[in-house]
Amino acid sequence: MRPSYFINFMMGIYIFIFFAYLFGPLIIMSITAFNSAEFPSITPWECFSFRWFNEGKIAYDGQHLAGLLSDWRLHDGIISSLIIGAGVVTLSVPIGMAAAIVLTQVRSQLRDIYYSISIMPVLFPGVIIGISTVVLWDRIAGLGGEGFISDIGRNGIFLTILAQTCFISTYCFLIFVARLQRFDQTQEEAALDLGASQTQVFFKILVPYLSPAIASAAVIAFLFSFENYNTTVFSILSDQTLTTVIASKVRLGISPALSALALTIIALTIIAAVTYEVLRRGAEKRYTESQEKFVKEKAADNRINKKYKAGFKIPKGITAILLIVVFATYGATQIVKNDLYGQSCIDAADKEKKSKFLEQLQTLESNELTDEELSGGSLGGNQDYGDIFGDPSLFQDFGGFD
Amino acid sequence: MSADVELSEVSVTFGSFYAAKNVNVKVNGGEFFSFLGPSGCGKTTLLRAISGFQEPSEGKVLIDNKDMSGIGPNKRPTALIFQNLALFPLMSVSENIAFSLEVRGVSKEERKKRADELLELIALEGQGDKKVHQLSGGQKQRVAIARALAVEPKVLLLDEPLSALDLKLRQRMRTELREIQKRVNITFIYITHDQGEALTMSDRIAVMNEGELEQIGKCDEVYNNPLTPFVATFVGENNPLYGKVTGIEGDKAKIETADGQYLATMNESKKLNIGDESIAFVRPETLFIPRDGDNFDNKIDVNIESFEFEGNLKNFYASLKSGAKIKFSVPNAIDTSSITSGSSIVLGFESSKSVILPKASLAID
Repeated sequence: MRPSYFINFMMGIYIFIFFAYLFGPLIIMSITAFNSAEFPSITPWECFSFRWFNEGKIAYDGQHLAGLLSDWRLHDGIISSLIIGAGVVTLSVPIGMAAAIVLTQVRSQLRDIYYSISIMPVLFPGVIIGISTVVLWDRIAGLGGEGFISDIGRNGIFLTILAQTCFISTYCFLIFVARLQRFDQTQEEAALDLGASQTQVFFKILVPYLSPAIASAAVIAFLFSFENYNTTVFSILSDQTLTTVIASKVRLGISPALSALALTIIALTIIAAVTYEVLRRGAEKRYTESQEKFVKEKAADNRINKKYKAGFKIPKGITAILLIVVFATYGATQIVKNDLYGQSCIDAADKEKKSKFLEQLQTLESNELTDEELSGGSLGGNQDYGDIFGDPSLFQDFGGFD
Repeated sequence: MSADVELSEVSVTFGSFYAAKNVNVKVNGGEFFSFLGPSGCGKTTLLRAISGFQEPSEGKVLIDNKDMSGIGPNKRPTALIFQNLALFPLMSVSENIAFSLEVRGVSKEERKKRADELLELIALEGQGDKKVHQLSGGQKQRVAIARALAVEPKVLLLDEPLSALDLKLRQRMRTELREIQKRVNITFIYITHDQGEALTMSDRIAVMNEGELEQIGKCDEVYNNPLTPFVATFVGENNPLYGKVTGIEGDKAKIETADGQYLATMNESKKLNIGDESIAFVRPETLFIPRDGDNFDNKIDVNIESFEFEGNLKNFYASLKSGAKIKFSVPNAIDTSSITSGSSIVLGFESSKSVILPKASLAID
């Protein structure tokens, strides 16, 4: 075996492990979204079902487990997140752009100081930004008495937009700085010299040049806002965003509906990325074609005009695609073979679980428990606490359960 | 329409550094005027002062006898062609050319008409829809000129616009620039460090060094009668012969050097006295190998060290007795095969072709 083959082989294994580590959890999570079981799992596989994308289910013990479509808290959270995202984009992009333009106008030492101050917000913990925003606006709201100031100072969505803008505008700033570094400032001078006013220079020269940066800053700002938790959890006050809803759900135990949500978000991301890539390649192709046409026009040389035969090319990701197809086919055949799909399967599973549950209940009721078993046995349990439910004095201060 | 440009005692300082110092120039309307100087001599600063990007620290810029102080670059009757051209890469050729009309609110049809006219002027008809990156170097150059002319400026300022082009294209663009200037008949102010460009295109040139004007004059005047040792050595090549004045005969002065006595012509405004430290300059092409019957009033013994072949000329590098180096050129048409490294010969030159100036620093020190 030649060393290069060996190295390539090891490289292949490394890449496989790397991607398995990166995407493995996502893939498994995505699969659990299609299992009808109450808890996200692959094994045991209950039934193939879209219920977690739809209405969810009423569990055998009567509890309602919401699916993606029926979860109103999730819907409210998504709506708040979208509103906040839009607000953050409209504030962060102009702030970041303005700050970056100022950076091009200041010189030497002042420039370094200004730059350091500008990027400082990304170094602050998000928690502190969240808390300080709330504290500040609580004071401001306190000044205004009843009315607009008081309302807005205690509006979670408004505060979250401000708090997130604090640090997200810095990311926008960095994107604009990177683009502006390559800007040829003589273009501005040329436009001025040709009679343009400063405003015209800004809108006709600078903004068109910055438009790709504006687009990417807007996307980045929106994504950062959408997925932010540590700042939002403080500044959102009594409202909820998608992230705080998910966090509160996870605290109560995870549901396959969250897997369904994750898969939906992944799918949307992939669709957006693929669409962007297709559009970009199209534009690039048009560009190269126009370039080639230009070259051909210039050089009436037949050798350049020779057409190249488009050969069949094997896509580079073929191994990964084949692997996914094989696993997916295997999984699908297993599901079909064992009749693990459809309403009849779900009904059967529910029936079985219900009967098991009732059986256990009966056993519990019929069995006389020994003292040792009641006190939790040798394994611990509630032995140290005694029979807390039998002692009403314990709940005097607590006030009891609702 | 062309306009006079006058710089009146213009100084530009950056901190304590003088980028331009007490410059007085009057450029006549319709003239092709060049500022020539080494990089860092302040010529670009002067151009920026004329175009309005740089306010002079002292003095005034007058265009058409109007004081320009406080008037921004977008309000002056000038157009500037940048060293890197600064074409707008996101716009088409036509949009570039019509930019100045667009910002003035000229209608679309009018803009198109004007752009087409200018495209014709620069011989790029029908190429207005191309993007700037699809043009070749020379075409970009011409688009930059058309864009500047679209403003209908009274003065066109050019900041070394040819420096990025290759030699052949540069030579062609020189002729083209000159032709365009004649056609549109406006004042051209050209900045360059290339004396070839300045000499071939300009009506008059101003030689600058370290922020100060050394000499203003017609091209042949500057070349043949340099006012300072800097001009003598910066514009074209010159051999310096250092010495002291020992005698004066009319407009000629005799200079005593370590290698002998030579006679050279004095400049009218730079009279010398006996005993002055001075330099006589003799150009490589005015040093001749005497043939029978030739009678030069200066003779010089040299020892050939090396030579090089330049095409039309053959350049010889020789040393004098004192060790001073001297260069002379012989047209290729003359047979010089007998002159090789190590041979000692006598050269001659006419005193009328040699200038003598008070001692000062050279351009090549």
